[in-house]
Amino acid sequence: MQSTQKFKNLLNKVSSQISMFFKGFAEGNIITKGSYIVMGLGQFLRGQIFKGVMYLATQILFFYFMITSGVSNIIGLKDLGSKMQERVWNEARGIFVVVKGDNSMLMLLFGVATIFIIIGFIITYIMSVHGSIQNEKIILSGKKPNNLRKDIELYLNDKYHVTVLTLPVILTFLFTIVPLVFMILIAFTNFDRNHQPPGNLFTWVGFENFSAVLWNDPLKSKTFIDLLVWTLIWAVLATGLNYIFGMVLALMINKKGIKIKKFWRTIFVVTIAVPQFVSLLLMSQLLADLGTLNVILREFGFIETFLPFLSNPTWAKVTVIIVNLWVGVPYSMLITSGILMNIPTDLYESAKIDGANAWVQFWKITLPYMLFVTGPYLITQFIGNINNFNVIYLLTRGGPLSLDYFQAGKTDLLVTWLYKLTVNEQNYSFASTIGIFIFLISAFFSLIVFNKTASTQKEEDFQ
Amino acid sequence: MKKLLLSMLMILMTLSLVACKAEEPVAEVKDVTLKVWGSQEDQSMLSGMIEEFKAANPGTNWTIELGVVGEPDARTRYLEDPEAAADVFAFPNDQVMDLVSAGALYEVTINKAAIVAANIQSAVDSATVGGKLYGYPMTADNGYFMYYDKSVFSEEDVKSLDKMLEVAQAAGRKVFMDVSNGWYIASFFIGAGNKFEMVNGKQVLDFNNATGVKVGEAIKAFTAHPAFLTGDDNVLKAGLGSTVAAGVSGTWNANDISTILGANYGATKLPEYTLGGVATQMGSFAGFKLMGVNSLTEFPEEAMALAEFLTNEANQVKRFEVRKLGPANKNAAQNASVLADVALSALAKQAPYAMSQNSVAGTYWGPAEAFGLALENKDYTKSIQEMLDALVAQAGN
Repeated sequence: MQSTQKFKNLLNKVSSQISMFFKGFAEGNIITKGSYIVMGLGQFLRGQIFKGVMYLATQILFFYFMITSGVSNIIGLKDLGSKMQERVWNEARGIFVVVKGDNSMLMLLFGVATIFIIIGFIITYIMSVHGSIQNEKIILSGKKPNNLRKDIELYLNDKYHVTVLTLPVILTFLFTIVPLVFMILIAFTNFDRNHQPPGNLFTWVGFENFSAVLWNDPLKSKTFIDLLVWTLIWAVLATGLNYIFGMVLALMINKKGIKIKKFWRTIFVVTIAVPQFVSLLLMSQLLADLGTLNVILREFGFIETFLPFLSNPTWAKVTVIIVNLWVGVPYSMLITSGILMNIPTDLYESAKIDGANAWVQFWKITLPYMLFVTGPYLITQFIGNINNFNVIYLLTRGGPLSLDYFQAGKTDLLVTWLYKLTVNEQNYSFASTIGIFIFLISAFFSLIVFNKTASTQKEEDFQ
Repeated sequence: MKKLLLSMLMILMTLSLVACKAEEPVAEVKDVTLKVWGSQEDQSMLSGMIEEFKAANPGTNWTIELGVVGEPDARTRYLEDPEAAADVFAFPNDQVMDLVSAGALYEVTINKAAIVAANIQSAVDSATVGGKLYGYPMTADNGYFMYYDKSVFSEEDVKSLDKMLEVAQAAGRKVFMDVSNGWYIASFFIGAGNKFEMVNGKQVLDFNNATGVKVGEAIKAFTAHPAFLTGDDNVLKAGLGSTVAAGVSGTWNANDISTILGANYGATKLPEYTLGGVATQMGSFAGFKLMGVNSLTEFPEEAMALAEFLTNEANQVKRFEVRKLGPANKNAAQNASVLADVALSALAKQAPYAMSQNSVAGTYWGPAEAFGLALENKDYTKSIQEMLDALVAQAGN
């Protein structure tokens, strides 16, 4: 309910701004009207010389940019280039001189950047018009508009948040939002091995890649669905088991009567000292068909040939989950033992007086408390596991590969499949489509679960 | 339209400018800046070669920068940003197709006849796409053959795969081959005459025809044999001399294997296998390393001269001496020390049955590995025909 109210407020604000924009033109005097055409006029002629010059400069720069390259960048977005690279024989030099053609990738990038520049300009334009209307009102009420010094004071005090946040916002757009939009748009093109710049062009194909993933291409959609199911199973088991085992370990160490607690804690934490990728690569060598473990077992006569830890699909799936436990339990043990020590002991004491046994105490006190505190951590872990590239790729490389799948193996997560499609296949558009699906899945789980967890809903309860 | 006119005008002007420069009688010292990519291990050797190149071509102000990009990464790194990529770079021949279709390489036209004549035919073929030469052959050693333990096999034994398996089993040893790898498993299909083709950028295979199915059965029989062993190079090297009697691998392991086997070190071409009752010679992939010139380079002639120099006879011999890389140059290959190399001569024996990897697409490797893996794991839930149908369909996707 609260969010719909917020949304309504936002809509009202926007519509009042728009009506002000048009009313300002109808009701304003000649200077205000002129500032709709020449940016900064309403500031310049009313004593705000610096502001006016800056607005005018922005306008001139923008028009210069649009005429020199902006317009052609936008037109280029339509087809992403039409001129192929050419080779012209040059008799005197004895070589085929390469005449550069259009580069679809750069055209897409520049087009996207130009759109953002236009949006930025429109915002500046509205700000200048808005300022002009305000200035007129201020003059009508008999005051003077702020001069430069007063403006600077304003931005260092009341509007300090604007001053501080401007740079980060611009940088975020430049290095995160623009590339992100660029990558998302690639999903709607046919950018792959056969449409590779600079020699070839790629172009828009609409939702072709999406339909291929979902239903059009049986092999690809089967791969997608199967890998999605496995990714979710993996994420649930990897997160849940790590959490439970970490907590059990922490409880055992924390239990009264256990001696040399520090020693036990240290022993389990030592595994963190070995970098994760080292342990994973070692594990994959250890568990290979002819790896150390199999050879030892065979030498002692326990097995005839070898146990297919990583080469049989089902074994491999179990193996990655168990190895992930080994890698992840120390972390969850550390986190949970800190919280366990923080549970107020009087809760347990009063429970004991009421006759609750250890089991009931765990279910009624420990677990709710833990889940409350670690809810957001669990969600982060879950999302992290959906995209857990390291464990899968370093341990099995997604293998064993299967003919049932499109260039994927039985333990491939969506994210490792995406990696293979990009690096081995240069199938960028299809990989980008998968990327969008992964994002949707992660966003869905994060939003739903975050909003449902106790710690966000009942923030004040456990204080 | 205006834009087209403008660009045409620009091209005309640049061309006329270039023409003017050529006619100018005063020879100015030209500034030429080039970037070269080579692998980490080749850096000191390459910088030596570049110094020699500078000394051999005075009259130009050379600035040649050397960057570390190994041959296997060349394609990926090039496509990341063609403008920033090296002007001259080395790459394995299986990347030729992708690089050419991306318009990445300058066609070799200067001294073409001499280059073609100096290098072995298969190496030149591997650098040729659609009748045009796109690279300078650099090495010719990226293939595989059979290493064997002379204390177990006679020279007669290693001619037949069946005989080898029989002898090995009797001796309680294994014959190693990484069948779950598209590169090695292809040797059975190539030997039987199955074809790799590229049609409109898609892989076309005929592995699921009657011959292909027989090949599949032969591989199945091989992998089911008690003396068969698979794994990676480490498994081969760890087992040779004790549990493993022979294995299929390439020149990169020659030093290690000759150290392990000592006096019993032997290498020869791949054996014959039994295809539907007929002895058939196993084929193989022959890999070459090439040098290419970036199509976006500012100085094409100079870059070509450098690429040609880096791959000439003297420098190919140097590559063998310093890095044990087998030469593609005919004269360099006749060098006494090259001929004496056991592994390289085994590779030369395999060469008539080898084909270049030019018409193999990236989509082939995954399904081929999956097929080999299913046979290694003795997963016979699907028939050979079904599996090969799936392989062909996936590779052509």
